[in-house]
Amino acid sequence: MKKFETRVIVIGGGATGTGILRDLSLRGIRCVLVEKDDLASGTTGRNHGLLHSGARYAVKDIISAKECIAENMILKKIARHCVENTGGLFVELPNDDNTYFEKLVTGCRDAGIDCNEIPLNRAMEIEPNLNAEVKRVLKVPDATIDPFRLASANTLDSMEHGAVVLTHTEVVSMIMDQGIVKGIRCFDRLGQEDIEIYGEFVVNAAGIWGQRICNKAGIQFPMHPSKGSMVIIDYRVNNVVVNRCRVPADGDIIVPGDTVSLIGTTSKMIPLEKIDEVTTDDDDIDVLLNGGEALIPNISKTRVLRVFGGVRPLVADTGDTRGRDISRGIVLTDHEERDGLKGFATITGGKLMTYRLMAEKTTDLVCEKLGINRKCETHIIPLPGSERETLSDKQTYKSIPETVVGSTRFRHGERAYRILKGDRKNYSLSCECEMVTSGEIEYAIENLQVKDLVDLRRRTRLGMGPCQGTLCAYRAAGIFFETGAADYENAAKMLIDFMEERWKGIRPVLWGDTLREAEFSYWIYQGLFGLGNLVKETKGRGEGVVVEEEY
Amino acid sequence: MKYDCIIIGGGISGLTCGIKCAKEGMSCAVITAGMSALHFSSGSIDLLGYYPDNTIVHTPADVLNSFAVNKPDHPYAKCGPDIVMEALNFLREELSEQELELCSNGNNNHFHVTPVGTLKPTFLSQKSVFNENINQAFKKNTTISIINFKGYRDFNSDIAAVNLKKHRLFTDCTITSNSIDLQDLQGAVKEAIELRSIDISRIFDKDENLHEIAERLKRAAGDSEFIGVPAVAGLENHKTVYEQLVDLTEKIVYEIPTLPPSIPGMRIDRALKSRFSGLGGVLITGDRIIGGTIVNDQVTRVYTKHHQQEGMTARNVVLASGSFFSGGMVAEIGNIKEPIFGLLVDYPKQREEWRSQLFFQKPAHPFLSFGVRTDENLNPNVQNGPLVKNLFCAGAVLAGYNPISEGSGGGVAAGTGYYAALQAKKRCDDIRKGNE
Amino acid sequence: MINLENISFDHCIKCTVCTAYCPVSRVTGRFPGPKLAGPDTERLRKKNPELLDKSLIYCSNCKRCEVACPSDVNIADIIQAARCSYLENSFRIRDFVMSRTDMVGGMTTCFSSLTNCLLKNRLIKKVLELFIGLTAKRELPDYNKRSFRQWYGTVKARQHRFKEKAVYFHGCYVNYNDQALGRDVIKLLNAMNRGVIITDEKCCGVPLIANGYLEKAKVNAKFNIDSLKSAADNNGMRILSTSSTCMFALKHEYPGVLGIDNTSISGRLDYIMSYINRLFEQDDIPVLEAMNITAVYHSPCHLERLGGVIDTIEALRRIPGLNLKNLHSECCGISGTYGFKKEYYQISQEIGRELFLAINKIKPDIVITDCETCRWQIEMNTPFETVHPVTLLARALKKV
Repeated sequence: MKKFETRVIVIGGGATGTGILRDLSLRGIRCVLVEKDDLASGTTGRNHGLLHSGARYAVKDIISAKECIAENMILKKIARHCVENTGGLFVELPNDDNTYFEKLVTGCRDAGIDCNEIPLNRAMEIEPNLNAEVKRVLKVPDATIDPFRLASANTLDSMEHGAVVLTHTEVVSMIMDQGIVKGIRCFDRLGQEDIEIYGEFVVNAAGIWGQRICNKAGIQFPMHPSKGSMVIIDYRVNNVVVNRCRVPADGDIIVPGDTVSLIGTTSKMIPLEKIDEVTTDDDDIDVLLNGGEALIPNISKTRVLRVFGGVRPLVADTGDTRGRDISRGIVLTDHEERDGLKGFATITGGKLMTYRLMAEKTTDLVCEKLGINRKCETHIIPLPGSERETLSDKQTYKSIPETVVGSTRFRHGERAYRILKGDRKNYSLSCECEMVTSGEIEYAIENLQVKDLVDLRRRTRLGMGPCQGTLCAYRAAGIFFETGAADYENAAKMLIDFMEERWKGIRPVLWGDTLREAEFSYWIYQGLFGLGNLVKETKGRGEGVVVEEEY
Repeated sequence: MKYDCIIIGGGISGLTCGIKCAKEGMSCAVITAGMSALHFSSGSIDLLGYYPDNTIVHTPADVLNSFAVNKPDHPYAKCGPDIVMEALNFLREELSEQELELCSNGNNNHFHVTPVGTLKPTFLSQKSVFNENINQAFKKNTTISIINFKGYRDFNSDIAAVNLKKHRLFTDCTITSNSIDLQDLQGAVKEAIELRSIDISRIFDKDENLHEIAERLKRAAGDSEFIGVPAVAGLENHKTVYEQLVDLTEKIVYEIPTLPPSIPGMRIDRALKSRFSGLGGVLITGDRIIGGTIVNDQVTRVYTKHHQQEGMTARNVVLASGSFFSGGMVAEIGNIKEPIFGLLVDYPKQREEWRSQLFFQKPAHPFLSFGVRTDENLNPNVQNGPLVKNLFCAGAVLAGYNPISEGSGGGVAAGTGYYAALQAKKRCDDIRKGNE
Repeated sequence: MINLENISFDHCIKCTVCTAYCPVSRVTGRFPGPKLAGPDTERLRKKNPELLDKSLIYCSNCKRCEVACPSDVNIADIIQAARCSYLENSFRIRDFVMSRTDMVGGMTTCFSSLTNCLLKNRLIKKVLELFIGLTAKRELPDYNKRSFRQWYGTVKARQHRFKEKAVYFHGCYVNYNDQALGRDVIKLLNAMNRGVIITDEKCCGVPLIANGYLEKAKVNAKFNIDSLKSAADNNGMRILSTSSTCMFALKHEYPGVLGIDNTSISGRLDYIMSYINRLFEQDDIPVLEAMNITAVYHSPCHLERLGGVIDTIEALRRIPGLNLKNLHSECCGISGTYGFKKEYYQISQEIGRELFLAINKIKPDIVITDCETCRWQIEMNTPFETVHPVTLLARALKKV
């Protein structure tokens, strides 16, 4: 049993949790973050990565729209390397309600979102794959944001300011004393160790899992899990965000995200017990592909890489349970006020877009409770990697392929200089689809809280390309052990976990080249490696390798 | 262009079929669209590795009969176990003509070590993977050194060594791992950062390097009796390379397969293609069959991408076009089809039933056993149409078996390819008799 | 709408087989292999066209990767297109000169004795190497005194008298460097009772594409398609070429790399040996005399890609007494203008070494290959006469 003390404990390693951790540490407050899985492994990493201009809310929810455009401007400055300033289009198709366009323009004006209608030929120039039958096109300042990078950069900055981060560590119970929360008891799954952490204040930023945390503190805090599913296309089919110009509905947006494009999103309420294993139904996939096809014809004939779903933590005390209609506004609850429990607050609702604002509000509350008088600076100080204005001195990396330099800089911003150095062997590619080098893997293991291959994927995009890890997982496992980040005993299990994690997303879209790729992958990992022979049952990550006794 | 037999597909089954046809004096062409699945294989030929309950088969030749009886739709049941064994012997002999020796453990399976240090049962292996010396050494508590080459990432000697050591059969063995550098030798690719299997095999293929390589391996292996290396010990000159390595190191040298491209698989590919061409067979690469006409119960013509107009004609056509990967079958969102002739394919409509919930679940994913349904002569039906009597299906395009969970890929490929050749021969003879 | 024809990279399964068969990455680590230079980075370029790695200029466009690919990815086409966009804005005099085979051919033919003499002069070659990067180690092809087209004028009238005719796209090489081959075509087809028609043509565009002059190549492509169409349309004639590379361009690179619609002629295009073999199979065979020599056949990369090797072999088998040995298929290394450049010369020679060794070992009476640049490469590196299969057939024709 390990024990230690801090001032503030943050539960949850999503955008909000890591955002709060950063805000706290920038204000000089000692803090610890506890995450049961990996950074951005929950809802944060499971959305379409749209950096909203606010236009999608402009007609119905002007407050959200205003929040969005304000945060949009801030993130484009402080999280430059996590944001790609693509711009976005709202397109009206032949059978769409033609009054929505005007409503949208008015809404945007009211919210202060800079928008303008552009001629159709200009739209086709910007987006050559667009449905040629579009009626009207509105240009808006949408952009895209990479949630993995965002959470990682917030964490990195916090740690550089003294914060402590414990991933793969699950909260077991709250330590309470006479109506005051004194800390948490948790379990480190990788180290198989109990930990007690004492602090003056505990922030519950566990998103949809926050309800369970509240229960551990003896509080009822009802949330309505709303599942959103998305489909990932193998490559970038669009340059800018393409929105359907209509009342928000399923399958009405295509977001380019790094090397891929995503078709979003569906909205379905699910029971709370299903939040740990979100599955996507075939009809969700049909809806998304049909929606995508309307915006970009033939998109459903390209390779669908995978699908995934996230669970929005919607809070509705009003009793309204119809997903899309519940407000996605920020809900910060001071449990001292609500339940008479001191030293405990829950932050939920909101969206990835407003994570920084949520963190600011939460940290303000914490400061008030702790009697600290420090102002928030997260809207001014750039995240690590986004420090400088330009990302161009290609000359520095002369001997390295442009593709590697470009991809590494794209992922790590200015911090790329810490990776792209040393002898040329450091540039040898492990993941050839996403251009991840041995050097980048070593950097991520050392600096970015990477504990296994699945974590590595979130930090580097290793295994996120067309081959979904077939070639690179085995190579990367080797580097893991060479650097001493894990012991060889776990090699097989780590590979199995990684392949199973990949499989979850591939499984529902098993046709065409995706099926061919899966067959190839299976030939290698089972046919050639016999990896499946090593376990009798696949338990959770890092658990239960059983060598078969037969032979 | 008119042949006695046109074979669509140049993998094990297509080439086994082609060689048998050519040896029977038939004029034949093999048309292959890209390289075959041999390039991703271990290079060992499986016959039957696992029972349906996933336990290991030790004596495949003996159980083949009862296996076929229990599974009447299995390709083994269609060819008959005797033909399968005959086909494997045939394959073995033809490969040995090309100086590629396959060894078996009598009628029993033997194990080969995988790149993650697990063991897999198989029937025929190249001499560098299974021979009497290796077999003896594995039976006692030997000392093994697994040696990799610097810059080669598609094999990891540490992972292999650690897992192998965990295995019950090897717990008493001393297993170490090490690596050596070959980049300064003749034939090494200049300025290479990443090495692939093929690059290292070319270093081995150079005669002048062998003494030095052997010396370095010996030094790295120390006192170990046994040297395990990734399977890259020569492609073109493999036979000499392997024999010399054994002589020069005075140790038992053992090859372990790697990530693709598989050099042992490429050895088989080369040997089969040379053998086929040497026997007068016509090997057409760079083209692909895109369709065929079927009139009544006969394929009358097949068309290729580059011969779209005139096409080709043949008395018999063998469809050995492989599984999904090789394009033998195509999966669309809601259906699966055989793209060349539109043959009847066995598969469940619900996509959910195409795969297992877990990637490594047992038995393996159902889609691996989808394929063209045939009668006992390997003749398929056209969708909603008649049986096609001069078309024979062979290898992975067939329904009714799961190559990976059964460990039967190689046996089915060779067996059905060989059987298809016999059928084609029979038809040719009948036609000739009819003409006389 | 997404044009599905342009996204063959999307089908790449990352099986890496192409890399094992790439002759360039066999000899130099500077080229990362077709998979990486082709489909892998094409996917990145869809995100940002600047993610273009200059190592792809080492691709010789031999297309062996495409032959090896189980997924039907147009790997070499993808690389060619990317390479063009890389080279586009840099004017290099050598590439300019080498890619303008028709213009340079036209000029040099006027002064052929002078140029032939100059191009053989070591000093001049050294100067060329220094200033424009043309390797001094290469022997450059001779330029003919008179172009093929000029000579054709003397037989033109007779060709039109045949009832059956075919249009012949002779290409720059036959026109300027090897009019003997052009004459053999006429001799052979005439012997088979077919007339040979030529029409206006420009360079097929392959050297332009290889050197990054995409726009000029497009102009040529359009010109050729129009000209061939109007010439062939008359009697529904077939359009023939003796160059496997020209034919590959007409058939595949026009739509595949240049994005130019060739459907008006694509159904009529035949590599000449496919045309001849088809006639042979209909028993339309001229009388051939026994040759009693040993010939080795080298199959050019682009013909392999066209799936046409079989036609050449089958047609040559009709020559009585010919001992035809088929070489194990290897790239000779020259790949058009590639092997003529200083920076690729070593690579080119390394690639071809196995092939030269194999030929030298057999010591044939003659070497046969379908491609003009393969012929240069083989003649320079072995002591044997190297000819086009049409020439061999023409020699076998019974003397009248």
